[in-house]
Amino acid sequence: MSRWFPAVALGALLGLLAIASVLALRPGTPPTAVERADALAAELRCPDCQGLAVADSPTASAQEIRRQIGELVADGATDEEVRAHFVARYGEWILLAPSAPIVWLIPFAVILAAAAGLVVWLVRRRPAGTPAAGPVTDAERRRLHDEVEALDA
Amino acid sequence: MRALRWLLVPLIVVPVALLLLSGFGRDPREIASPLIGRPAPEWSLTTLDGETLAADDLAGRPYVVNFWASWCIPACVDEHPVLAAAHERYGDAVAVIGVLYQDAEADAEAFLRRHGDAGYRHLVDERGGLAIDYGVTGPPETFFVDAGGIVRGKVFGPMTDAIMSEHLAAILPAGSR
Repeated sequence: MSRWFPAVALGALLGLLAIASVLALRPGTPPTAVERADALAAELRCPDCQGLAVADSPTASAQEIRRQIGELVADGATDEEVRAHFVARYGEWILLAPSAPIVWLIPFAVILAAAAGLVVWLVRRRPAGTPAAGPVTDAERRRLHDEVEALDA
Repeated sequence: MRALRWLLVPLIVVPVALLLLSGFGRDPREIASPLIGRPAPEWSLTTLDGETLAADDLAGRPYVVNFWASWCIPACVDEHPVLAAAHERYGDAVAVIGVLYQDAEADAEAFLRRHGDAGYRHLVDERGGLAIDYGVTGPPETFFVDAGGIVRGKVFGPMTDAIMSEHLAAILPAGSR
């Protein structure tokens, strides 16, 4: 019995982990209307603030936009329809995050291009005449040995 | 080859500098209105005089919608005579409509007493819903709607006589310019 105990314990542990991960990865309950409205308010720019989201602003415009979001969500509008409602009035400017996915790739493309440029530059930097470091010859090994001996003496 | 490498510096620096400079010259709130060329927002609101006015009441003639506030100084003070003059000159041919932007009625009335009430109507946009429908980010902003109810122009910032005539030309019927 004691011989099998570690294997059984390990099996039980793995089983528990599997159940826990399945539970953790299971899609959560759908967001409530209030949660959806709050998330949308965080995505929209407050029109009369400097770089604040509608969710974070106390201005009258932000309050009215929050009220309209709540009304639209209650009327059954999808997130996309709510965004479109405000984009039709303010243009894409009202969205804090760009809606075109390509825009997200630009910084990564710039970083990759810069890294590639750096690599090319580093590789080419060594002047043509510099001898490449080869394996240490026996003569060099002897000389090193002699010089270390001389230092120790 | 070395000279070519130095050529890279202006090639990179100049476009970046131009991009930044063009950005500095612009007000980030001055956004192109998606309303241009589309039907004007519908509304039905109470005026400062207490009567009810709706966009439908203006159907068939061009109108100018001016978002302003008594606290919008000096821009709204500066442009006030321009709007008053347009109202006096065009009378019924073009309706000039003021909309209070986040302003108290008493303050707006005091503004009109001090700077001259030309007699055109001002809407009380209590919750700011009309300002949102027009995509207003701050007063003064002015919209030009033609007789067919289509938005033809938007002016961000104080109105001048020159800007007013230019935009009025786009909404006035051919005979009355």
